[in-house]
Amino acid sequence: MAGRASSHDQRLLPTMDRDAINEITHNWSGFCIVTEKLLQDKNDPFKESEFVAFVSALSKHGLSSLVQDYFLQALEETFRTNSVAKFWRHFDAYSDFVVRETNVATDDWVREALHESLEEISSEKLFQEKCLSFLLRALQAPQGSKGRQAKASDSKSTTVDLLSRYHLMVASILLTMLPRYFPEILRLYFKERLEELSLVMSEQNEDGDKLLFPDKNRTESNYKHFYSAIDEMDHESHHETVLFESKLVGKAWISKVGKVVQDLRSLGFISMTEDAYSCAIFLLLKRKVEILAGDDYRTPVLDSIKEWIQAVPLQFLSALLSYLGDSIGHEKGSSGYISPLASCPPLDFGQESPSEGLIRWKLRLEYFAYETLQDLRIDKLFEIIVDYPDSCPAIEDLKHCLENTGQHSKLVDSFISALRYRLLTAGASTNDILHQYVSTIKALRTIDPTGVFLEAVGEPIRDYLRGRKDTIKCLVTMLTDGSGGNSSGPGSTGDSLLEELIRDAGEQETSIYDDEFDSEDKQAWSTAQSWEPDPIDADPLKGSRNRRKIDILGMIVNIIGSKDQLVNEYRVMLAEKLLNKSDYEIDSEIRTLELLKIHFGESSMQRCEIMLNDLIDSKRTNANIKASLTQLSQKGIDQGDNELLLDHLDATIISSNFWPPFQAESVNIPAAMDKLLDDYAKRFHEIKTPRKLLWKKNLGTVKLELQFEDRSLQFNVAPVHAAIIMHFQEQTRWTSKNLAVAVGVPVDTLNRRISFWISKGVIVESVGSECDDHVFTLLEDVSDANRNIINSGSCEGLLAADEEGERSMASVEDQLQKEMTIYEKFIIGMLTNFGTMPLDRIHNTLKMFCGTDLHYDKSLQQLQSFLSGLISEEKLEFRDGQYMLRR
Amino acid sequence: MEVRRATENSISPSPTSSKHPKPPPKPVDSNSVSLRLQKELMILMMSGDVGISAFPEGENIFSWIGTIKGGNGTCYQGLSYKLSLRFPLDYPFKPPLVKFETMCFHPNVDQYGNICLDIFQDKWSSAYDCRTILLSIQSLLGEPNTESPLNSYAAGLWSNQEEYKRVVHKQYIAEGGIIET
Repeated sequence: MAGRASSHDQRLLPTMDRDAINEITHNWSGFCIVTEKLLQDKNDPFKESEFVAFVSALSKHGLSSLVQDYFLQALEETFRTNSVAKFWRHFDAYSDFVVRETNVATDDWVREALHESLEEISSEKLFQEKCLSFLLRALQAPQGSKGRQAKASDSKSTTVDLLSRYHLMVASILLTMLPRYFPEILRLYFKERLEELSLVMSEQNEDGDKLLFPDKNRTESNYKHFYSAIDEMDHESHHETVLFESKLVGKAWISKVGKVVQDLRSLGFISMTEDAYSCAIFLLLKRKVEILAGDDYRTPVLDSIKEWIQAVPLQFLSALLSYLGDSIGHEKGSSGYISPLASCPPLDFGQESPSEGLIRWKLRLEYFAYETLQDLRIDKLFEIIVDYPDSCPAIEDLKHCLENTGQHSKLVDSFISALRYRLLTAGASTNDILHQYVSTIKALRTIDPTGVFLEAVGEPIRDYLRGRKDTIKCLVTMLTDGSGGNSSGPGSTGDSLLEELIRDAGEQETSIYDDEFDSEDKQAWSTAQSWEPDPIDADPLKGSRNRRKIDILGMIVNIIGSKDQLVNEYRVMLAEKLLNKSDYEIDSEIRTLELLKIHFGESSMQRCEIMLNDLIDSKRTNANIKASLTQLSQKGIDQGDNELLLDHLDATIISSNFWPPFQAESVNIPAAMDKLLDDYAKRFHEIKTPRKLLWKKNLGTVKLELQFEDRSLQFNVAPVHAAIIMHFQEQTRWTSKNLAVAVGVPVDTLNRRISFWISKGVIVESVGSECDDHVFTLLEDVSDANRNIINSGSCEGLLAADEEGERSMASVEDQLQKEMTIYEKFIIGMLTNFGTMPLDRIHNTLKMFCGTDLHYDKSLQQLQSFLSGLISEEKLEFRDGQYMLRR
Repeated sequence: MEVRRATENSISPSPTSSKHPKPPPKPVDSNSVSLRLQKELMILMMSGDVGISAFPEGENIFSWIGTIKGGNGTCYQGLSYKLSLRFPLDYPFKPPLVKFETMCFHPNVDQYGNICLDIFQDKWSSAYDCRTILLSIQSLLGEPNTESPLNSYAAGLWSNQEEYKRVVHKQYIAEGGIIET
C-alpha cells in the first residue's frame, strides 16, 4: 500500500510544496489507523469527525479514489480473514454427514448451520456496509460544502459504484472459496422446507399423507422430524399452523426461509439459490407425481397433481417471492429477456393477480409435471393397454400430457419396443395378441384421433400377425363370438369386437347402405369434413395414407390383407356351426351375418346368406316331407321301426355349390337307417322335382342312447361313431379289420374313430391274433370299464388324433393347399427353365399365364406360404430371396 | 417321325438357313395364337412328362425357354440342355424355331444349336404342340440320324459309344453344365 501511495505522491510532488506533502502524509497515516480501528474493533467508539476530517483532507488533494481503493481493500482483507473462513467452517461437518448418510440428522443440522452462519455473515456484511456508508458520507461532506447541486449526480454514481464494487468483492471472495458441497446443502435445505410445507398441507386437507409418503418408515421419520422441529421452534410452528389455516403460508416460517434466501442473494449466490430451490421443487414434484401416478391406472391423477402444484410449490414460491418483494420481479422484468410465456393471459391464481414470475413458475412446474407423468405412463403403456377398459383414466391423463409436451414420437418408439419384447413373441397366443391389438387401437384412438401414431404402432403387430397361421381363425371367432356358439378364446375379446360390429352398424344406420361406392363416397366426405392436421412429428411417409376415420374392423381386416379371406374363413366356421345344429335355430347367426353384411358388403356375404337360407328352407322342407311320409305310413304301407325312426330324422338340405367343400368320407350306416334316408330322398324328389337329394352320410349328428346291463348312456355323436357302435349290437367282439369292412371305412380311420368309444369306457381294445389287428370288445359292466380306463393310457394319442379329424368341413388352409397344387406344376415348370426366381416374379408369371384358364387369384402372402410348404416338402430351396428347385 | 437327312435337305446348315419361306398372306389372329400357346403350356405343365419342360420367357408368350434332360440309358443321361423356342405369329400353321442354347454335341445339331429334324421342316403339322416337339427332341438325343449329319464328327464317333459319351460330357462340362448322377 505504501508503495502505491508514494508513487502517487511522486507524481503529485512537483506541484506541491513541502507543507502539502506533510499534510497528506499525516492525513493518510491517520486515515489508515482509523480505518483499521473501525474495521477490526467493533466495540471501539468510532470517531466519525476525525475520520471525516482525514478523508476530506485527502480528497481535497485529489486522492479520493486512492482512499476508496484502500478502504475497499481493507474491507476485503477483514472480510476474508474474519468472516469467510468462519462461514465455510460451519459447513465442514457436512462431508461427514454425507459419508454417514444419516438423513434426519443432516436435515436438522443443515437448517441450523445455514441459519446460524448466514446470520453471522450477514451481520458482518451489514457492519461493513455501515463502514462503507461512513466513508461515503465522509467523501461527500467536503463536496457538499462546495457545490452540492453540481456534484449531486456525481456523488450518487460514486455511491452506486462503490457499493457494487463491494458486493462484487464479497461475492467473488465467497465463490472462490466455495466448497463443492455447498449447492448440495442449499438443495437439501429447500427440500426440507418444501417437505415440511407439503406435509402441513396434506395434513390440513385431512387426506393423510399416505399418498405422499407411501413408504411407512420414511413417513414416520418425517413426522418425527417435523414434530421435533415444532418443539424446538415453538413460536414458529404455532404461527405456521394458524396461518396455514388462513390459507397463507406461515409468516414466521416463510420469513425465516425468505431471510435465508435474501441473505444468500445479498451474498451473491443469486443463481445458486434459485437453482437450489427450483431443483428442490422439481425433485419434490417428480416424487409427488411418481407417488400419485403409481401403478394404479384406474384413477386420473393429473388434476390432483395440478392441485398439489397449486397447494405446495406455488404457495411456497408466491410466499417467497412476495417476501423478497417486488425487487425480483423488477429485476426479472428489466433483465431484458422476456419469456414467450410472459404474454400469456394471467391465470386465475388465488384472489390477487399473480406476478409474472409466478405465472412463469406455474407454467414451468406444470410442464414438468406433464413431462414426468408422460414418461411414467409411456414406460407403463403396455400394462396400461393390457387393462385397457379399466385404465381409461390413465390414458386420458397421458393424452393431456402429450397435448402439452408434444412428445408423441417418444410414445411410439417406447411402445413399439415394449411390444416387440413382450407381445410379439412365440409364447404369446394369437388371441392375446389380437386382444392387445384391439385395445391398442382403442387406447391410441383416444390419444391421437388422427391415427398417425396408431399406424406406426400397429405396423409391427400386423406384420407379426400375418406370420401366424391361426390369425384368421381367431379373428373370425372374435368377430362372431358373443352371439352364442362355443368360444375358444377369452370371451371379453370376442365381445369387444362384436360390440364394435354393432357400434359400426349403428353409425351407418342413418345412411342407408346401398352399394359400396356410395358409402365410400360418404365416408370420404365425412372424413374430409372432420379433417384435422397431422401432428407435427408425424412421419410424412405414413401420415397421409391413413386419413380415414380409425375403424377397428378395418384395421383388423388390414392384418389379413383382404376381406375375402376373412369372409371365407367365416364361411367355413359358419358351415361347421350350421351342420352341427340339430334344431333349426339360427337367429344369432342371422344377426351376426347382417352385421357382417353391413361391414363387408352384401355381395361378399352372399354365399353365407344362401347357407342360412338353406337352413331356413330345410326346416320347412323337412317338416313337409315328414308330414307326407307319416301320412303314407299311416295308410299302412310301411309299419314298424321306420315310423319310430322318422320322428327322429331331421335333414339339413344344403345347396352344396355355395357351401365350402366338405370332408369326404364314406360310411355304411345301418340298413334301416339307410332305407329311411332313401325314402326321404325319394319324397324330396317328388316334392321338388327335378331336384334330387344326395345324402352326405358322414355329416350331421346322431343322438343315441346305449343300454347296458347295469346302466344306460346318452351320446351326441357323429354318424361314423354311431355306425361303429351299432355293430356291437349284434356282436360284442370285432377285430378291427372286420369292423372296418362292416362300417365301410379304412382301418386307420376306424382306429381313430373308435377311440371315442374307448375313451368313454364303452369298448375295450386288445391286441389281436395278428400283430396289426386289434380286437374291440363291448363292455357291459361299469367295473370292467373302470379297470379299462386305468389301463388305457395308450389310447390318449389316438384320442387326440380323432379330435383333429372331427371337423366336418375342410379347413381354409386345406382348401388353399388343394387349390395351390394346380399351380405347383407351373411353379416347378418355370423354375426348371429359369433357374432361380424371386417371389414376386413367380407371382407375376403365375398371374400372366394362369390368370385366364386356372384363375390364379391368390395373394402374394398365400403364394409365399404355399412356397414355404414346398420348401418343407424339400421340393424347393430358398436362398438370397430367390426360389429354386432342390437338386 | 423320322430324322430328316441333311443331304436331302435343300436348307444349308448355316444359322440363317432355318428361315422359313415367307408365309402366305393368311389372316392370323394373334390373340387366338396366344390362346393356343396358353393351352399348350397348360398341357405341358399338366402332362408330368419326365425331363422335358418349357415356359414362356418374360411377358412374351411367343418366346419360350425349354429344358430337356437326356433320356436314361443314353449318352446324354444326367445332362440337361436349354433350348429356345420362337413361335411365329402364324403358329401353328408354321413350325416354331427351336434351337439349342446349351452347346450340344450331336450328329443332328450344328455348332450354332440349329437342329435338323423333319418335323421342323416339311413334316410339320399343326397337330404337333410344344410337348410333342420337346419329346421329339429328347428322343432325337438318344437316336440320332447319322446318315445325314450336321456334325459329321459326331456322326462318325457315334459308333464308338464310349468315346462318344466322353466327348459329349467334355463339351457339356466345358459349357459349364453339371452332370447329375
